[in-house]
Amino acid sequence: MNLLKAARLTFVLTVIPMMGLAAEVDQAADRAPEVSDLDLPFVYTDWEQFTVEDGLPNDHVFAVEVDGPRVWIGTEDGLARLDKRTGEIRSWKEEDGLPWRVVSALAVHPDTGEVWLGMFGGGLARFSGGRFDHFHQLNSGLVNDVVYGVCVENENIWAATTAGASRYNTRTGEWTIYTEKNAPMEEIWNYGCSYADGKVYLGVWGSGVLEFDIETENWKDYLDPDGEMEIDLYRDDGIVHVITTGVSYVDKTLWVTTYFGASRYDGRHWRGYFKKDSGAPSDFHNAVQARSANEAWFSTDKGLAQVADFPTDTWVVYTTDHASNTGQAIITRGERVLETRTIPPNIPHNYVLWTEIDGDDLWVGTSKGLANAKGGGFFPGLRRASDQATTVEPEEQPTNRGGS
Amino acid sequence: MKQTLRAICQVGVVSLAAIALAPFAVADEATTSEEAQPLDTETVLEAIDVDPYEIPDLPLKKSSNYGASAVDVEPFGHVEPYAEHFLEQMEYTGPGRAKAEPEDLDSVKIGFQGPIVPTVSVATGGHSHEEPLGIAMLRGGSRMAIEEVNDAGGYLPRDIPFELVVHNDNGLWGASGNEIVDLAYKDKVWAILGTIDGANSHIAIRVALKAEIPMINTGDTDPTFIETNIPWVIRTIGDDRQQNYLLLDYLYRKQGLERVAIIRASNRYGRFGVREIKDGSRRLGHPIVIEMAYPVGGEDFSLQIDRVAAAEPQAIIHWGDGVDGARILNQIRERGLDQPFYCSDRCVTDEFVTLAGDHAQQVFSTYPWNPNREDPALERFRQDFEKRYGVEPDTYAAHAYDGMNLLIWAIQNAGLNRAKIRDLLAYRGEPWPGVTGDIPLNAALDDGGEVFFTRWDGKDWLYYSREDLEIPGGVIAPVTREERDSVTALTTGGGPR
Repeated sequence: MNLLKAARLTFVLTVIPMMGLAAEVDQAADRAPEVSDLDLPFVYTDWEQFTVEDGLPNDHVFAVEVDGPRVWIGTEDGLARLDKRTGEIRSWKEEDGLPWRVVSALAVHPDTGEVWLGMFGGGLARFSGGRFDHFHQLNSGLVNDVVYGVCVENENIWAATTAGASRYNTRTGEWTIYTEKNAPMEEIWNYGCSYADGKVYLGVWGSGVLEFDIETENWKDYLDPDGEMEIDLYRDDGIVHVITTGVSYVDKTLWVTTYFGASRYDGRHWRGYFKKDSGAPSDFHNAVQARSANEAWFSTDKGLAQVADFPTDTWVVYTTDHASNTGQAIITRGERVLETRTIPPNIPHNYVLWTEIDGDDLWVGTSKGLANAKGGGFFPGLRRASDQATTVEPEEQPTNRGGS
Repeated sequence: MKQTLRAICQVGVVSLAAIALAPFAVADEATTSEEAQPLDTETVLEAIDVDPYEIPDLPLKKSSNYGASAVDVEPFGHVEPYAEHFLEQMEYTGPGRAKAEPEDLDSVKIGFQGPIVPTVSVATGGHSHEEPLGIAMLRGGSRMAIEEVNDAGGYLPRDIPFELVVHNDNGLWGASGNEIVDLAYKDKVWAILGTIDGANSHIAIRVALKAEIPMINTGDTDPTFIETNIPWVIRTIGDDRQQNYLLLDYLYRKQGLERVAIIRASNRYGRFGVREIKDGSRRLGHPIVIEMAYPVGGEDFSLQIDRVAAAEPQAIIHWGDGVDGARILNQIRERGLDQPFYCSDRCVTDEFVTLAGDHAQQVFSTYPWNPNREDPALERFRQDFEKRYGVEPDTYAAHAYDGMNLLIWAIQNAGLNRAKIRDLLAYRGEPWPGVTGDIPLNAALDDGGEVFFTRWDGKDWLYYSREDLEIPGGVIAPVTREERDSVTALTTGGGPR
């Protein structure tokens, strides 16, 4: 047997069977586990709503950030802090030292407790000890004052701005600017920011998602492979569109939102989501926050949507009907509606701008108020309906403070 | 009282500028679904009078085909894409319609954002260069339309004047976004007209979305401007996609050429301006033989011309500003290259003619409208403009005039509520009768009107429609790609558009 024949035989005996095995593994990974229609996700039924009547400086809530017992709220006209223990809300407006009225992004440094505010046309601010330190494009390395996203990476603060991203080292005071000059930004219009596992993810309007490796300082881009604006050629070949609006990286899984649909990437497989093929109430997503590799919350213009269990493609969508003062939770699997539950009013408005995960609870910013979903009895994934506890009695329905 | 005021508004606006407050109706049949029903203004106004939680129950515009693309230039034409975008009008589902009108106002502010003062900008990639276009946009559109409406009584429901709030779009270090923020939150304008540069326009519309303010664009022909799914944005000028399609049809379907070269500005205008030419050429079986970019404002284009010459094209397309285009044309001719030279609409300028001299007469340029058509409204506008400014209005002035009048119409009828102003613009079915011609808004809220060719004959610019030049077009499918039974059946052979 010559070497060529030996090599062929080795290929036939080892590589081909391995390819088949790999294909089987892939198919198994893609195959949804068998579930019954009785296997359902947790549905939030205990909601509380907050509006200006409760002390918010403004009802248009752009950003929410949980900081232990405090919840920071960025609105179109002021910053607010809600004490979860007492329900007390304190707010700051420009006359109180807030550098600019529109607070569009928030992040709290876990080590220092300093609150970082991204302001829409007002730059970046650090709120600490009752004092606002203001960073803008004329006094710092902030590349632009229109800030859409802020995130904390180690001792650095990242600001996603409309003309690039800035990274501020809070220890050295050094600023680094990222634009098309030094990053693979086809466009420089940064929108969202997320940090985990040594990587910063930027959602860039017109340039997909950019991944920055902190250790190597290398960039990787995630673009819509078809390269076309007016179509998505294949659903699961990459992000569904390059006009990205949000990113969230949790459990080594990347969730991405656009105004054309949403995507999930586990490092090997992409999955696209559209209104026409999933529980999503709309393709217009303002933001995404993931709780795990299997669960993410989408802030859409037609309700709050949750991929409740990725493997079974089970969704829950929350909306409130103010005319009847009731809420609705629609549970779907694939394109099939499993159940429509009438629940108490949930989100104060169905135009949702931000969702923040707080342990088992949620905080939801909408264009007409803030909502808190209390997750007593929460469980991830699915559970047989008969095993789920009924959590809300009619007389326990919360007051719809933001209702009509 | 409310009804009376609306009636007064309508009469006032009609008498003001001979602008019909025509009833809403279905738009161009090619771009609107048969489900859409004709709507009149009153019906729309009643439907948008909702509480913060309601969404108006009005039919959305639908298109069977984005951008009136022929089936043989559609991306991945032989595959049914998983999803198609821009085929249904975007909705605004927020609470803005319920915002009360402010009580004490001395004027109704409308924002203007355009390149007025030269700057250096990150967003535009260096020194700004579009000030002549921006000044024309300010003069014609904005200022003249505002002056006219104020002469006719201003904002009629309150008998107060309109006020133009002007911002330069090239703030320091790409700060055009800051200018829009200021217009929205500090100046508190009701709507914004602007701008020209593609990058600044994109920055502006992202702000408009978040601040929830209507933005009408009359000067940015970047196709991607509207490809963002923002319900607050409307464009009233034929874009480069439409101009590209006309050029493709002329070069390949009429002339039968096979080897075409591109020389373009190395900026966003040049990059995105030729995108559909490149894609369409490839899809029609004639890939562009070479594409060369040049730095804006250069003097010596020998490098680019060397490479273009080596590729031996049958025709050369230039996409960039007029001054650069003229210099390139002259240097091409000095080299002895005699290929036909085609330009984008930015070469239709006095500077191009002056610099290019006799060479200008051999050039065909695409153009978003026909300034030589017979129209009393256009003639009156032209005379008024020349009387006011001593020069003839250009495309930026004329389109801005149309856009501003459309905006004024919407404000007069909707009242002082940004969401309702947006609604009047977005749900308008009938084309806006502008001085630049009819402006039909498709499902993407983009101008779906006709575009033209123009040529300098040594004395005047002559304009040619597709019909004038007998340019055949590809087949435009009457149904979406998802609904088509057979793609191949549609792609065989050309035909009238």
